[in-house]
Amino acid sequence: MGPCDPNFLSCFLIVALPLLSFAVIMIFTWRRHRLSLAISLTCSTIPLILAWSLFFRLKDTVTLAKPIVTQVNWLVSDAVIVPFGFLLDPVSLLMLGIVATISWLIQIYSIGYMEGDPGFARFYADLSLFGMSMLSLVSASGMLQLFISWELVGLASYLLIGFWYEKFSASEAGKKAFVVTRFGDIGFFMGLVFLTFFMKDINIFGLGIFDINNAALTKKLTEAQFTLCALLIFCGVAGKSAQFPIHVWLPDAMEGPTPVSALLHSATMVAAGVYLITRLFPFFAASATAMTVVLVISTITLLLSSTIGMVAKDIKQVWAYSTVSQLGFMAMGLSAAALGGSTLFAGYYHLTTHAAFKALLFLCAGVFIHHFGTNDFFVMSKDGGRKLAIPMVTVTIGALALAGIFPFAGFFSKEAILAQLWHLPNKLWVGLGLFGAFLTAYYTFRVIFVMLFPRKDDDPVWQEYYVREEGGHGHGAHDDDHGHGGHHGVPWVMSFPLIVLAAFTLVLGFLQTPLEKFLLGESHPHEMNYVLLFSAVGCALGGIGVAWLDWGSANARWQGFIRKVPALENFFIQKWYMDHFWRWFLNTFIYGTFSRIFTYNDRRVVDGGVDAVAFSTIGSGRLLSFIQTAFVQLNLLFMVLVLAGVGLYLLMGR
Amino acid sequence: MLVFNQLETYLYLALLLFAIGLYGVLARRSLIAILISVELILNAASINFMAFNRFLAPHPAVGQVITLFIMAVAAAEAAIALSIIVAVYRKLKSINIEHATELRG
Repeated sequence: MGPCDPNFLSCFLIVALPLLSFAVIMIFTWRRHRLSLAISLTCSTIPLILAWSLFFRLKDTVTLAKPIVTQVNWLVSDAVIVPFGFLLDPVSLLMLGIVATISWLIQIYSIGYMEGDPGFARFYADLSLFGMSMLSLVSASGMLQLFISWELVGLASYLLIGFWYEKFSASEAGKKAFVVTRFGDIGFFMGLVFLTFFMKDINIFGLGIFDINNAALTKKLTEAQFTLCALLIFCGVAGKSAQFPIHVWLPDAMEGPTPVSALLHSATMVAAGVYLITRLFPFFAASATAMTVVLVISTITLLLSSTIGMVAKDIKQVWAYSTVSQLGFMAMGLSAAALGGSTLFAGYYHLTTHAAFKALLFLCAGVFIHHFGTNDFFVMSKDGGRKLAIPMVTVTIGALALAGIFPFAGFFSKEAILAQLWHLPNKLWVGLGLFGAFLTAYYTFRVIFVMLFPRKDDDPVWQEYYVREEGGHGHGAHDDDHGHGGHHGVPWVMSFPLIVLAAFTLVLGFLQTPLEKFLLGESHPHEMNYVLLFSAVGCALGGIGVAWLDWGSANARWQGFIRKVPALENFFIQKWYMDHFWRWFLNTFIYGTFSRIFTYNDRRVVDGGVDAVAFSTIGSGRLLSFIQTAFVQLNLLFMVLVLAGVGLYLLMGR
Repeated sequence: MLVFNQLETYLYLALLLFAIGLYGVLARRSLIAILISVELILNAASINFMAFNRFLAPHPAVGQVITLFIMAVAAAEAAIALSIIVAVYRKLKSINIEHATELRG
């Protein structure tokens, strides 16, 4: 399994080429946009081909229990050996393909979207870095390698979110994303350290994913130890996947260019967290306590973000909150499966389908934003958003998938997750899941209906809109100032990815059985649970119906049903006061307590200590300066006398 | 002629040279004189090495090597010291060591 192994070589190329492209563009060709584009596209097309050829070559030979691991020694220092290698099993093979595909499509799309931007080459370099880090995260064989890629993903997202760094809000958003996810990563790393500490016979460098899962399967650690490690690692997951208390960075991350949001929200960054749970699924499943915590947090996330999505006016904000809620949904599915003794399929399947339709939704939003120069979908509607035929059709397909309508991909994967929740003894969870599905359908179709059925300028509903505008909330003013405003058609480089992704969205749903067979090695026959099926479809259709009454039909007032409870609406508009909470938290605890103590320490102890050393040096220098008599020979005489004394002592004193 | 074939003779000679050199370094005020006295001290050391080598060392060349080193070092030291003296002279218009008092504490 050395470096000449064909699997290793393919994986290595998949990871190394985008990195090479990043380096070459950043160092050599950053002035030349066309050349950089060519380099970056080449270095993402080859991994795409390699990833899928690996997938089709190995799909019959690997299973979850028998992955292919190819490793070489990266660093060797005495007993410490840091391996570098790749773990190929169904989970990582499929994800490699998805990540490579989506980042390739987004690179194609960005040709149109970023055209004429002064940072064009830099954008492609960062995209390459992003692709590289996610691909290496997906295929990493050891936890250390995974952690390094995990941090690289964070770095790349920081660079891309703050891509238009001249804009203050963009650089702030990048910083926020970086710091908040890092906050979670502390937990992740501590979890790894504890894990190696408990496992005893292995150090953190050699800690493989397989080792962790094996330890879980063989009950090598006690339940409490598993719980501690799982919860700490989940901190990292929560940071990356924007779960409840630390989800606040994700909506702000909309400051980046829209293709970045699409990439961030579908196959990379946020998917990394959920991917980690699937990766370590047996390990997480070993602790029921931790899984219950995950279930609770993900349910809160689902409800929180879908309710905020109901009142947002920025199309990217709506999709961002829907991403948060769908990630919560995936985590719910995974934790429910773990608690119910089931498999990781439901959550992972939703991750797959979500990657397709969420990328689609964001790219469509990007077309509208590019075309109209605004992020506000009410304004897009007024300016004739529905005249852009291809994006309008594809965004509707994406929305139908997100809402979970047959026969689109989201329907099947949501159904799978709800089935997992259904198996839990407490029916509260499936109820909340269904409620989340209802809200998802509602806010999704709020956007679609507003865009599809524009009102005239003198329609009374606009007053409603302006009233809300004066409320002075939300991100309505956050325009992508990049838009040209020119009303040209949609260039094919931008519509082509939309069509491909829409096709995926249509097809993926029917691949459930083959995918399950591929992932688990066998396909469980689905007993149709008609109660659940009908209630799920009912919730989705109900959500769409309510959205139609509120936003779509000719006499709709453009008032959400939530308007009936103004306090609640305000609560949602203020995003559950989470940003306020963190601001307060920062001010009180970080700035108010820690910073104050540390400042005091810095001023008094550190600075004071240095000053004291300096002053005492000066003082003692003054005291002893009489020795410097300027009579060299006197000094010399002393020297000779002392030396003579020492010599005499040595000769006779003994 | 027995006196020339004894270790003590050379040690006394070296001691004398060393004492003269030390006196010169401590008592003379001229920098040039001090430099010459330092050379005397170095030569006293060389004589010691040669004497011990001649009368006590099992191998005849060890002390000679050291002496050659001392000669080379003395040459270098003389060059540097002379250039320092020239610099001092340019600065103070004097090579009297008692005039070099700028670093008085």
